[in-house]
Amino acid sequence: MTSSLIRRGRAHVFGDGIPLDEGVMAFKYAIGRITDPAELIPHLFEPIDPGFAARVARGDLVVAGADFGCGKPHIQGFIAMAALGMGVVCGSMPYKAMRGAISKGLPVLIGGGDPASWVANGDEIEVNFGTGEARNLTRGTTVQLPPMAPVLQPIIAQGGANGQLAGWLNEHPSQRAAKGAPSVLGSGTPVRVMPRRVAQSV
Amino acid sequence: MSNSSSSSLSVSPMTAVQKMLARASGRHHVEPGEVVYPVPELVIIHDGFVETAYRELHALGYGSVVDPQKVVFVTDHEVAYGSQRAVERGRNIRAIARVWNVGALYDAGRGGHGHIFPIEAGLIRPGMFLFCYDMHCTNFGAAGALAMAAGTEVTSVLATGSLWTTVPHTLRIDLQGALADGAHPRDVGFLLAQGFADGRWGVQYDYRVVEFGGPGLASLDLAARVALCNSITEMGVANVLFDGDPPGIDASGAPDFRSDPGATYEARIPFDLSAVKPQVALPGGPDRAELLSRVAGQPIDHATIGACGSGMYEDFVAASRVLKGRKIADHVRMFVVPGTAATASRLADDGIAQIFVDAGAMLLPPGCGPCAGGMMAPLGPGEVSVATAATNHAGRFGAQDGEIYLASPVIVAASAVAGCLADPRELEPLVASGASQ
Repeated sequence: MTSSLIRRGRAHVFGDGIPLDEGVMAFKYAIGRITDPAELIPHLFEPIDPGFAARVARGDLVVAGADFGCGKPHIQGFIAMAALGMGVVCGSMPYKAMRGAISKGLPVLIGGGDPASWVANGDEIEVNFGTGEARNLTRGTTVQLPPMAPVLQPIIAQGGANGQLAGWLNEHPSQRAAKGAPSVLGSGTPVRVMPRRVAQSV
Repeated sequence: MSNSSSSSLSVSPMTAVQKMLARASGRHHVEPGEVVYPVPELVIIHDGFVETAYRELHALGYGSVVDPQKVVFVTDHEVAYGSQRAVERGRNIRAIARVWNVGALYDAGRGGHGHIFPIEAGLIRPGMFLFCYDMHCTNFGAAGALAMAAGTEVTSVLATGSLWTTVPHTLRIDLQGALADGAHPRDVGFLLAQGFADGRWGVQYDYRVVEFGGPGLASLDLAARVALCNSITEMGVANVLFDGDPPGIDASGAPDFRSDPGATYEARIPFDLSAVKPQVALPGGPDRAELLSRVAGQPIDHATIGACGSGMYEDFVAASRVLKGRKIADHVRMFVVPGTAATASRLADDGIAQIFVDAGAMLLPPGCGPCAGGMMAPLGPGEVSVATAATNHAGRFGAQDGEIYLASPVIVAASAVAGCLADPRELEPLVASGASQ
């Protein structure tokens, strides 16, 4: 996990309409509810680019065209990319996919247009997701893209939704469970005390 | 939170969704594309996710949620526990409701479908903003409320009291005319979903609010509006709203929940209700609309009326008019799932439940019925269902290779009688004795 909003690495350029299932990752990992990054990383982009996992390095960026991450919003690919400290720049992305990426701590820039206009596969690039500045270090060029919404930037900096929730708990210690408090799940003891119903008071 | 009026002259016109998100976020004005943190008045989570929410927050060290009195648990997905696991889940939900001290638990057999009974019970009010776990909460648009589906991120709402939300753009559907005899709001929904999917109007629909207005809106009652909300939700729209007072719900004194006259819509689409003919949605998705007349005769094994899009009293009354005095086909099993405990009671009280039972249908407890993944009354391999369900992708009713046709309650009823997809207007007349099959 990288808390900074700057990613610097090699660009992995993809076209339009790359689906999450059978594009970013085989569907079997979603249906298998695999969430361990170590298990997922070797299979990133495997359906459309079997050599990807061998080439990718920490901090690399995916630069894609329109409708990146279409189809069912499965988050296995985002878990793997976030664990690699990657970032995504794309032309457009379905809303639920974008939410899934951010909740896993993966920075996303939408509105990147056609990748061919500024980057080629393998170029060394640096993207500041906070300002939208994208530098192509191989070419020595810079483009200005729409930055991430300011209110989303702290989520990325905290490593995603779970990081944000951990941060909230630190700031709101009254919500913390008593030390060693057991889970109430599955003790096998019937629970017979009902909370009140709001219907009676609304 | 400030609650200032958004209609002051100093502020540019807003759509309904802009207004409701602005109000919930303590802002005078928000623009589509902006990201805000709206604070909900209610948070509704169904029995399929309560344990997971608890497990995740417990693992993070949380012992309590931020505003428990706003939190409502509903039991609608697996109501009549069909396994020991379901019994344990029910027990766990009660334990979590107690330890978090949530505002309300509607336990098995109470309340009913979490996207219907909160409307009927008056928990949902015009102008209200709420978060729900499940995407079909768009139903509450029929009551003038804005309910955003948080999905698994509802844990963030529980923990922190809000969740980042992008203000959506709005597509406006201007309804004209009225539905002809035999046509139903579900048919309208399937046709709209199809039109979005095939690019007929050249509009983006991903995360757009679909707002219905125009002179045709007045002809649609509350159940009709719920059916409309439900039929297009699976397309991935952000929400469904109506530019008018919700029928049967007192909107006096409600905060502003309608678009300003000069509000900016991303697109306006005219839609003539009078041109709608009875439809089904072919297996695979609600957008696969097809004229009923083209697929009539397709044999069925399973028929269901109910679920979040067609679980209101009016839906069952309409179906009962088709079934009265008739029997369903011998090879068909039919399930009737009242949306709420109150509707189940009303159907029993006024004899409509009797019509269903006499026809050979089975009554299930209020809730989702087979549409919750076939945990109850599932479809088998190779079987065909006709249903009022929310969606019909592979496996929705259990078997991956079962096929589900979506249709209005009257078409489902007629098809159950005929044993194949059928138009209620073409059933054999009741006067032909012994010909009820």
